[in-house]
Amino acid sequence: MASASVAAPEAVKRDEDEALDQARTQQERMEQLYQKCAEAPEGTVFFQRDLANMAIANMQELVVILQELVDRHLMKIMQFDGEPCWKVRTKEEAERLRKLTPEERLLYHHIDQVQADGIWSKALRMRTNVTTQMLNKCLKSLESKDLVQSVMSVKHPNRKMYLLKHLRPSEDIAGGPWQSEGEFDMPLIRIVAEVVEKIIEKETCLEVPGNWNDYPRAATQDRSAEIARKKAQQKEVMDIEDTPVRTFRPPRDPNRITTVLRDSPKYPTATSLRDAINNANIIKDKSLSVADMEQLLEMMVLEGRLEKIMGNNYRLASRALSTQENFNGFVDAPCGNCPVFEICSDEGEISARTCVYFGEWLDTESEAV
Amino acid sequence: MSYAQRDTPILAKLCTLLVEDQYGELASRIFTVLARHGRQTLPSIVRASYLNSRQIKYGLIVLIQQHLVFHSSFLDPTTTYYEIDWQQAYSLVRYGKILKAVEDRFGGKAANVMSNLIALGHTRIQDLREAYFPPSDNNSDAGSDSGRVNGKVNGHKPNGTANGANGHNNGHSNGHGEGEEDVNDLTIQSEEELDAIIHHLMLEGWIIRVDEIQYLSPGDIQGMVQREVLGEQHDGKMPSGVKAKEQMVFEINSRKRAMRDDWCRVPKCNSRKRLASDPDFSRTTKRLKQGALEWQPRDANNIVMLESGLVIRTNPEKISVALRTEQLVHLVEQRLGPVTAKIYEVMLRLMETTIARAYEPYADPPPSDPDAMGPEVQDKHLVTAQDVAKKLDKDLDILDGLDPYHVVRLVEADTRVRYDTTNRQINPPVDPTTLSYQTRTKVIDCHIRRLADDPFHFTTWHSRAGFSQWHVEFDELSKSLIQHEIETTIQSRGGDRGPLGVKLIRALKKKGKLDERQTCNTMMMPAGEIRQIANEMAVQGFVQTQEIPKVERREAKHSIHLIWYDRQRAREKLLHDTYKGMIRILQRIAFEKEKVRELLNKAERSDVVGNEEKWLSQDELSVLRKWKEVQDKLLLQLLREDDLVATLRDHTGPLTSP
Repeated sequence: MASASVAAPEAVKRDEDEALDQARTQQERMEQLYQKCAEAPEGTVFFQRDLANMAIANMQELVVILQELVDRHLMKIMQFDGEPCWKVRTKEEAERLRKLTPEERLLYHHIDQVQADGIWSKALRMRTNVTTQMLNKCLKSLESKDLVQSVMSVKHPNRKMYLLKHLRPSEDIAGGPWQSEGEFDMPLIRIVAEVVEKIIEKETCLEVPGNWNDYPRAATQDRSAEIARKKAQQKEVMDIEDTPVRTFRPPRDPNRITTVLRDSPKYPTATSLRDAINNANIIKDKSLSVADMEQLLEMMVLEGRLEKIMGNNYRLASRALSTQENFNGFVDAPCGNCPVFEICSDEGEISARTCVYFGEWLDTESEAV
Repeated sequence: MSYAQRDTPILAKLCTLLVEDQYGELASRIFTVLARHGRQTLPSIVRASYLNSRQIKYGLIVLIQQHLVFHSSFLDPTTTYYEIDWQQAYSLVRYGKILKAVEDRFGGKAANVMSNLIALGHTRIQDLREAYFPPSDNNSDAGSDSGRVNGKVNGHKPNGTANGANGHNNGHSNGHGEGEEDVNDLTIQSEEELDAIIHHLMLEGWIIRVDEIQYLSPGDIQGMVQREVLGEQHDGKMPSGVKAKEQMVFEINSRKRAMRDDWCRVPKCNSRKRLASDPDFSRTTKRLKQGALEWQPRDANNIVMLESGLVIRTNPEKISVALRTEQLVHLVEQRLGPVTAKIYEVMLRLMETTIARAYEPYADPPPSDPDAMGPEVQDKHLVTAQDVAKKLDKDLDILDGLDPYHVVRLVEADTRVRYDTTNRQINPPVDPTTLSYQTRTKVIDCHIRRLADDPFHFTTWHSRAGFSQWHVEFDELSKSLIQHEIETTIQSRGGDRGPLGVKLIRALKKKGKLDERQTCNTMMMPAGEIRQIANEMAVQGFVQTQEIPKVERREAKHSIHLIWYDRQRAREKLLHDTYKGMIRILQRIAFEKEKVRELLNKAERSDVVGNEEKWLSQDELSVLRKWKEVQDKLLLQLLREDDLVATLRDHTGPLTSP
């Protein structure tokens, strides 16, 4: 497609002296030409040569007809490699454009010019030289007429960028594949992240049942375990700190699947993961670049879902094998999560004596305030 | 001022509570005065307190005996200044842990000696011997005598807050197949055995020599060494050039190190050949050999005789090494599983002997070009899989947690097996206890590699000498541990939004100062969500904010708003909060105790003790039980908070770089 750069339309003087019949035939030809052009696939660009080849009008007439079409907004004049060229607009679009005020039309043309890149409202004012009030009014009415849309720029979050309604904002203003309408597309990110995790798990991990190595345990071992257990029983008050120290034995339940890391696996990289995601066609009509993938992977590292090892290889984060939620000594006590911790003092209304959280935790009575 | 010696009001409060709990009101009142006013002379303490100088002297004696107070009489006997040793005062809470660590490593007898040493503060060898074996008694009666003293020791609570110690001293097998009969036999049989135990603990760095200089505060030591250096090398004048000053600092640090290392040096001890008339000891040695404990000197035919005038105390710095080992092993267990953790524990304990402290406060400044000199690792800090294989519990299922395909290859030399992919079982099964030494070593090396591969880098490959030699970069690990604890705290505090807070902290740690848009891009989230969590974190003190005006009028709208994360600040904030949490626990214990005071008084009466069932009603018994439960729960939590303090405070110095 031609990259368009359009000259602003000039007010065209109609030749009043034209004969009426001539005008009618011209009208017909115009309709013919428009029809012909509209039949072509959408977005086709016509050069003068192409239009002449349609054999509807000679060169002189063609110029007049085209001018008329442009005036009626049925055609859009553009330039490609210094040569003028034209593009068809739909009748409805033309109709809407015809109804615009001159200022609105001016703004519309400028917005049209920048295509998917969008134009900042301030820049628009600079180019068109209209007052701010007028600009705002016009932009509002253009938006209400469904001709333009505004998008928040990703690069400059406080800039409103305007572009034609039917266009999709370019990556520059709308952000990469992870963003839609200036915001991060959280559901998409979540789903892709899950897929990435699955891929990595498949490549680097192995699921092993609890009884993978079902060797018979020697009797002596059970005996020592038995002794330790008995001793623990004998002690009157079991010390909280020591559960009887026993050599660790993995449980033999075949249904207890553990995930173990393969020995010297091929850790995936951003490139290999990007290819996998692109091939799986998960993201609709967008494809990821390596940089996009790296952004996601780095984010997942921050979330603690992946670990980066050896430069740019990734693996799943090692998870605690025990499921028990154990933080540290401070936050496991009531003080660590206390909402009034900062104003708690040695004595007074909020103190260790009156603390309801301690009371709850220890199941004892606190002093009433 | 020394990093460890900085006091904060909150620490002062905590230590006062600990001292009061331990040494009573008199000592704690003097401690409070010193905490409030700082360095004081005796007359000024008198002025600041409502006590007379005789009372104060009694109190100070207790504090000095326990090393809780520095004094400067060594420098200038005419005016002595007293100053609190915060490090030691805080470690009151750790006494139970010291005993537990010693018991885990060297058995119940060593813990017994240690607990006496802790109770005494410091002591002459001769006094300790006499305490164990009173000279007036007949030697043949030694068993019963020592039984009395040991009994007293066992029953004596070395630390009111250390419930762990007693339980352990009562003899608790660590599952190494010791016979049941000698578990409860913790009486030390002879002076020779006592000496051997002390000597061994000195070799391991748990007991050090007492020196008068130890009573000087870090500030006094600095002054003293500086005067020395200036006098010897700079004619008593402060050097002027930058280079000369650097040279002076270097010299001061190296002298301090030399002085301190001298305390830890094990004095040359007399030894005599074992005689036929040493039946007790030989029997002991034999039993010790059967267990995992060996503390007789390298040459089993010699018997150590310590100098009777030698004054010894516990090494206050050693416990942090043991605590660090514990923390690291715990973390490995969470991340890589119990088997790898066990192997890591063996590795770390092997290194412990030669590590006197977790962090070097008098380190030389790092060379300006870090690449110029690679990290120097001393040979004694290297461990190979073979070393581990020798020490590791034979019953441990070392194959667990490994890739079965790899296991098949590893055990190839011993037995031919294959991994059945349909059943997902190894066929025939391999009993890890029957593996040959070579194979075991290979399997262990595999676990060590897993440790090295982890993002924490629990081990680092050093060199190849037959087998790979590994070392541990404790400094980096300690920093990661601090970060880990901060993240854990945020995770737990935030509730549902905890993970988000952690993510924010990590993002800021990685990228430095960020404005809102950059934060969004790094975290891939909409600004609204981030703003909320960033706010919360700023309120909690984990995230710092900064506003840089862009226009002259400093309008907020035109300013750049940055947020960032400072490890050191977050660390100190969390440390401060943890101290405060510990205070609340101690206060709560006091409050709970107050509620049952009358009943406790009754239960502690000499006629009731032992006959509780008889003299106390059902209700009273259940209240007592409940009180015990509450106390245990609170004390356990106190000790766990202390673990956090150790991680945050004791393992590494200030974190200057982000």
